[in-house]
Amino acid sequence: MENTLREKAKELLSSGEVGVVIGYGWNRKKTRTTPVFITTPEETDKLIFNELCVNNLSVYLTRKYRDIKKLGRPAIVAKGCDIKNIAVLISEGQLKREDLHIIGMTCEGVVYKQELWQGSLKPEIMPVKCHNCDVRNPHITDTVIGEKSDFVPPEEPTGMVFDKIKAIDAMEPSEKWAFWMEQFKRCVKCYACRQFCSLCYCEKCIAEKNTPQWIETSAHERGNLSWNLIRAQHLAGRCTFCGECERACPVNIPLNLINQKLVLTVKDSFGYRSGYDPEEHPPMIVFDPEDKEDFIK
Amino acid sequence: MPRIGVFVCQCGNNIESTVDTQKVADELKEMPGVAYTCSYKFMCSSPGQEMFKNAIKDNDLDGVIVSACSPHMHEKTFRKASEAAGLNPYKCEVANIREQCSWVHHDETKKVGTVKSLDLTRMMLERLKRNKPLKATSIPVTKKALVIGGGISGIQAALDIADGGVEVVLVEREPSIGGNMARLSETFPTMDCSQCILTPKMVEADLHENIKILTYAEVEKVDGYIGNFTITINKKAKYVDESTCTGCGECWEKCPFKADSEFELGLNKRKVIYTPFPQSVPNIPVIDAPKCPKIQKDKCGLCAKVCGPGSIDFTQKDEIVTEHVGAIIVATGFELMPNEHFGEYGYGKIKDVVSGLQFERLASSSGPTGGKIERPSDGKTPESIVFIQCAGSRDEAKGVSYCSKICCMYTAKHTMLYKHKVHEGKSYVFYMDIRAGGKRYEEFVRKAIEDDGAMYLRGRVSRVYEKNGKIMVQGVDTLSNGQQVEIEADMVVLATALISRKGADSFAQKLGIGYDKDKFYSEYHPKLKPVETVTAGIYLSGTCVGPMDIPESVSMGSAAASKALGLFSSDKMAREPITADVNKTTCNACWDCVTACPYTAIAKTEVKDREGNIVQMLAEVNVGLCQGCGVCVAACRSKSIDLAGYTDEQVYAAINAF
Repeated sequence: MENTLREKAKELLSSGEVGVVIGYGWNRKKTRTTPVFITTPEETDKLIFNELCVNNLSVYLTRKYRDIKKLGRPAIVAKGCDIKNIAVLISEGQLKREDLHIIGMTCEGVVYKQELWQGSLKPEIMPVKCHNCDVRNPHITDTVIGEKSDFVPPEEPTGMVFDKIKAIDAMEPSEKWAFWMEQFKRCVKCYACRQFCSLCYCEKCIAEKNTPQWIETSAHERGNLSWNLIRAQHLAGRCTFCGECERACPVNIPLNLINQKLVLTVKDSFGYRSGYDPEEHPPMIVFDPEDKEDFIK
Repeated sequence: MPRIGVFVCQCGNNIESTVDTQKVADELKEMPGVAYTCSYKFMCSSPGQEMFKNAIKDNDLDGVIVSACSPHMHEKTFRKASEAAGLNPYKCEVANIREQCSWVHHDETKKVGTVKSLDLTRMMLERLKRNKPLKATSIPVTKKALVIGGGISGIQAALDIADGGVEVVLVEREPSIGGNMARLSETFPTMDCSQCILTPKMVEADLHENIKILTYAEVEKVDGYIGNFTITINKKAKYVDESTCTGCGECWEKCPFKADSEFELGLNKRKVIYTPFPQSVPNIPVIDAPKCPKIQKDKCGLCAKVCGPGSIDFTQKDEIVTEHVGAIIVATGFELMPNEHFGEYGYGKIKDVVSGLQFERLASSSGPTGGKIERPSDGKTPESIVFIQCAGSRDEAKGVSYCSKICCMYTAKHTMLYKHKVHEGKSYVFYMDIRAGGKRYEEFVRKAIEDDGAMYLRGRVSRVYEKNGKIMVQGVDTLSNGQQVEIEADMVVLATALISRKGADSFAQKLGIGYDKDKFYSEYHPKLKPVETVTAGIYLSGTCVGPMDIPESVSMGSAAASKALGLFSSDKMAREPITADVNKTTCNACWDCVTACPYTAIAKTEVKDREGNIVQMLAEVNVGLCQGCGVCVAACRSKSIDLAGYTDEQVYAAINAF
């Protein structure tokens, strides 16, 4: 699989079809994977793909990374789940499909956090998204690498996140409030969740706006609440549940609970799942005369 | 430091009874930036306004707050007065301490009302400190109108605009203008012949130097905004050269092929080269291409041989024409509910069950029977006719919850026409209620019942079936203890529901106007702006809005025309400067605003470098289209859009002042 990947990357770079291949490589001690940006055919041997390749590299396609854009037309090594984010980026005009070569990797799941790796991929160390994955055979690609996966996701999504959501749904509003205030209390507003998210691509984030200042910047509970609520609202209908924000959070705020709840709500209300159709704009923000709510007409 | 004046209105006792206006004025005086305050009996009165203007000048004020009634009432008044006193009108704000304060608090100690008035005024003060002087924008107006639909309503609108000295393009889908009114026999309640009153109007429109009629044409695309629309029209191929055809009729006389006539609603045949009816305007035939053997198989071509001026051109193609107009009047009309909806009434199976409009053709002297009432099946004169009202209307099961409004009247008219033409004939009318609201309408129905002997039965028909060459109508007469009745009839006429035109919804989307659940077009305000739409510059007329009769359709045509003429009365049109503005340095070009805008006022624009390479994409607001609703402001994640006069900064400052 890796050899095919390297060959393909070599071919793309030598032919000049792309200027950079965004993919995974080893760190120096070969204990963890890290993003690599390959610009010459000679370097392609650095590319790898395995169960540790959890990072969603689509963030490097956004306007946040202008310097990578300068390297030329990109090819990206992407799992199905990463491709979902690419689809949203295309639907929101951040990318043109033809300006990108997607090397889709078939995938049998990755490890939730690289620290958990002990030589084999057990279900316990896989994130919830992998257990319910319907894109193990990547859905939007220019090249597919790897053997076809026969995995069929369970009809009812399973995993801790879904159980927790049910538990929170059953709570009284006051209990919900207390639960989330307790979680957000830990937030230090490092904005790691934002930096890792490929859909948080604004060059100037609302958190940085000061006339007026929408979000208090100190690590006060009020500002913490504003930030986390606004972040959630800005991802409603767009988030693909890739899980990078929660993985990045240094204080373990269960952001996946919020994100997955939003995914479920949008699916219920709009019949829309983000990341599947690069032609369709996320529905929360579309004026539609056919809208089922009357007030909009 | 700003110099702001605060004028607290007592509104007689309306505000003063629960608000201590003097205290509000006194406390505001102590606020930073406030240079002048007062409490006054009636700010909106002439002396009040004089005082207001003088205070601005005398105290050198650079902003004013009037704490009074809702801005809906007098914002305009005070902004005008501010302007007269030399202030930018957008530096004048109204704090609502009447509808939102004094009227809802009944505390006679004035405690609550005073505190709340203080809060409301203080919020407005912080907001006003951040107001920027705004200037009304003006956009040029193209003095030309487009009328879509050549029925009576559209014709009236076109004539009125043209008489006002403005050019009009009248687009009609069919080969002739005239619409549904051309099909009618006589019209209620005066019983004058429909064609006799309609055709002079059609001819007048045709001959009017300011009116250009495009028949057999459809509007494909509408771009632009009020004053500056660009319309793309598809002129379907007529296969006849309009400039040379004299309308002599030789071609349709000689054409050997026939097809069902759309105009006669299938009651008669027409030729394959045809005009819909003898008084067609323009009197130029079209060829029904799918049925013409010359066009399909290159056989025949007789019409071309007999045509004196040589006007027939089998090679003609559809033609796309573009028109630039300043206003659009939508008068696309109605349709009848399709016949196949009435299985229980035998429609489609029994030949002598017809719709109201088909009966109009049978009663019309220009119709297929020359005005004699004859059964479509065998041409016999019917001895009795059953009329079934509310066929589809007021029937949720058929998807029409509303009343079609005109059926009660035309059914009464049908019974009269029948009686006048067949003296021995007996008519029965099944009805739910008789709705005859209108000038001379009730008298008209009474006349049908009392003078012309129509038998009215209050109840629904359950079944219509054939037996021994007669049509049996089973129903219930609720006014005689719910007795079952069965009537032997020779003919049944259904007053089928008026519905919106097929494709009305997608056409509304093309225009960017709203429509309701029945796909009738929505007025801006059902009472006070009945011909306007949410899109400025597009007006409504006639039955595309809902069921209505001829007088209403005509009045609406004139009303829409007067709106258009008002717009055309000056070369430029002033627009409120309350429009959205994109911050180009922070826009991420995610197009959320583009998809969110209900007015399609935001465009994707390219920023190019000197070599013409696209370096950036940006959202850009078209101030001509922008209505200042603020949806895009809320939608923008990076807060790159602000609404002039309602900036985030202003709103935030007001909230923080609370």
